[in-house]
Amino acid sequence: MIALAIQMLRHDGAKFLTMVLAVALAAFLTQNQASFLVAFLSMTGSQIRDVREADLWVMEPDTECFDQAKPLKETAVQTVRGFPGVEWALPFLKVDTNARTESGKLSVITLIGVPEESRVGEPIMQIGDATEIYQRDSAVIDPGGMSLLYPGQNFRPGMKIRIHDEWLTLRGVSMASPPFTGFPIVHVSHATAMRLNRAETRNTTFVVARLAAGANAAKVTKEIAQSTGWKALTREQFEAASWKFYSDQGVPNLFYITITVGLIVGIAFTGQTFLMFVKENARAFTTLKVLGFTHPQLAVMMFAQASLVVVLGLSIGTAMVVATTELAKTLPFFRGLYLPWEVTLTCCSIIGCVTVMAAGMSFYKVLKLQPADVFRA
Amino acid sequence: MNAVDCQKIEKSFGQGETQTKVLRGIDFTAAQGEMTFLVGPSGCGKTTLISIIAGLLGSDSGSVSLFGESLSSLSARDQILFRRRHLGFVFQQYNLLPALTAAENAAVPLFAAGMNRKLAVKKATDLLGALGIGHRADASPRLLSGGQQQRVALARALVHEPRLIICDEPTAALDHKSGESVMELLSSSAVHPDRAVVVVTHDNRVFHFAHRIAHMDDGVITHTESPTTQLSHH
Repeated sequence: MIALAIQMLRHDGAKFLTMVLAVALAAFLTQNQASFLVAFLSMTGSQIRDVREADLWVMEPDTECFDQAKPLKETAVQTVRGFPGVEWALPFLKVDTNARTESGKLSVITLIGVPEESRVGEPIMQIGDATEIYQRDSAVIDPGGMSLLYPGQNFRPGMKIRIHDEWLTLRGVSMASPPFTGFPIVHVSHATAMRLNRAETRNTTFVVARLAAGANAAKVTKEIAQSTGWKALTREQFEAASWKFYSDQGVPNLFYITITVGLIVGIAFTGQTFLMFVKENARAFTTLKVLGFTHPQLAVMMFAQASLVVVLGLSIGTAMVVATTELAKTLPFFRGLYLPWEVTLTCCSIIGCVTVMAAGMSFYKVLKLQPADVFRA
Repeated sequence: MNAVDCQKIEKSFGQGETQTKVLRGIDFTAAQGEMTFLVGPSGCGKTTLISIIAGLLGSDSGSVSLFGESLSSLSARDQILFRRRHLGFVFQQYNLLPALTAAENAAVPLFAAGMNRKLAVKKATDLLGALGIGHRADASPRLLSGGQQQRVALARALVHEPRLIICDEPTAALDHKSGESVMELLSSSAVHPDRAVVVVTHDNRVFHFAHRIAHMDDGVITHTESPTTQLSHH
């Protein structure tokens, strides 16, 4: 019975292909856009995640995300250290500034200072040794920065970058997580960062802290916030806040539109084509009814047909997404791109269910076929 | 016991002023072991009557019994199961499924009954062989001539060994030679002491195959006669 249904579907090759490709297109568009959206929003927390040692982030109350931070007073570090439940606290300096290469290439960069004593926030390296950033006038750059500032060039020791009238020597390429802004990430020592940022009076963008063993994060952050008036967040809370900040800016709207269009187009095409398939095979379905096929049997046949379309379409669409994601990841700016299994599961479930429902609506047409019409020439 | 026993069948279509009475108290019987022809002009109600006999259409009044079983006493589902088990059909346009091979088409009633696909196709292929078309068992219907397609349809009507075969204009789409050939096959393979065959046809060239001919006009059976009498009119 199921084989019969599949044969009927495959026989109408053009419609079969249209339906499979429509589902594939819907699966591709929705998963592709959803994974881009998730990846981009995940990037809003990249530099927070990269400071692996810190449990808490303390900041000015006006600070809403990592990229738009108002610096704290220099005494903030000492203040945070004084709270019970805080094992250690350190200044974290992050500056968005201009940089230039020897060839004159200009770009806004995110400069991050790593304290040499604690090495908290030290990047994992792709090329070179992270400890070299503690040498005077040294820096390491991320792959996105290499691509942007030194297009077409491979890293070589001794490359120079000019920040605030000072030439720094690049000692390696870090594996800093790709930032949402797309700016190159340049790590230097905290001392170098302070020197380069000397025009500013405040050099503590955030205070990062580690919770003492057994300390309650919620209690500690609450106490810091109540006592100082600053904002104190756990790493997860700060990541979520950065995600929310960019979400509220309307960043996801374009993705939502594309996802919706993908769903509508894919499902409408599939539903309409399935309906046409049923209409054009009305005589065949009527004959089957006359020859003794019951409605449940016909429903199973149509479910099998819809399922085949869905399985093939989703498989092709998902394979396309995986291929494009893997390809895109080779580009520096899209390093952070990934396809979360939750996105695949959600998109495929929605498309699958709605397509089968569309097939169900076509089945209504089959239900309404009059067996006696089989005698009409 | 008659294979088909229709008593005072009435059927109308439409409502109010547009209502048309198609069957006006028809009494019709078809005996087992016989081929009964139902003939008459277009629009006289032949198709409506066989639709009611096959349980594809309900009547407004009257009763239909097939092999002593009253159709009206069966639920909708049981009517389908009864039709699946006991009825075979041959249509004017063959109604073969283009996606299936000749053997698979002939096996469709067995698929409906849930028979294993391989066994069903084997049985259908054997039957196609008996009907002289075994060599085309794997062919698509579009590659078969009209006569060959009607043989496949005949195999489909016989494969599950039904007790009543209903044929609607089985030779209308065929030339005389093919039509004669199909009717010979129908006569030799379908007619059986435990089985009845009802044939609706306009084709008076095949009337000689009938054991009885029921003439219909304007929703009633006007008279029933033997083919020899009928042939003498032409």
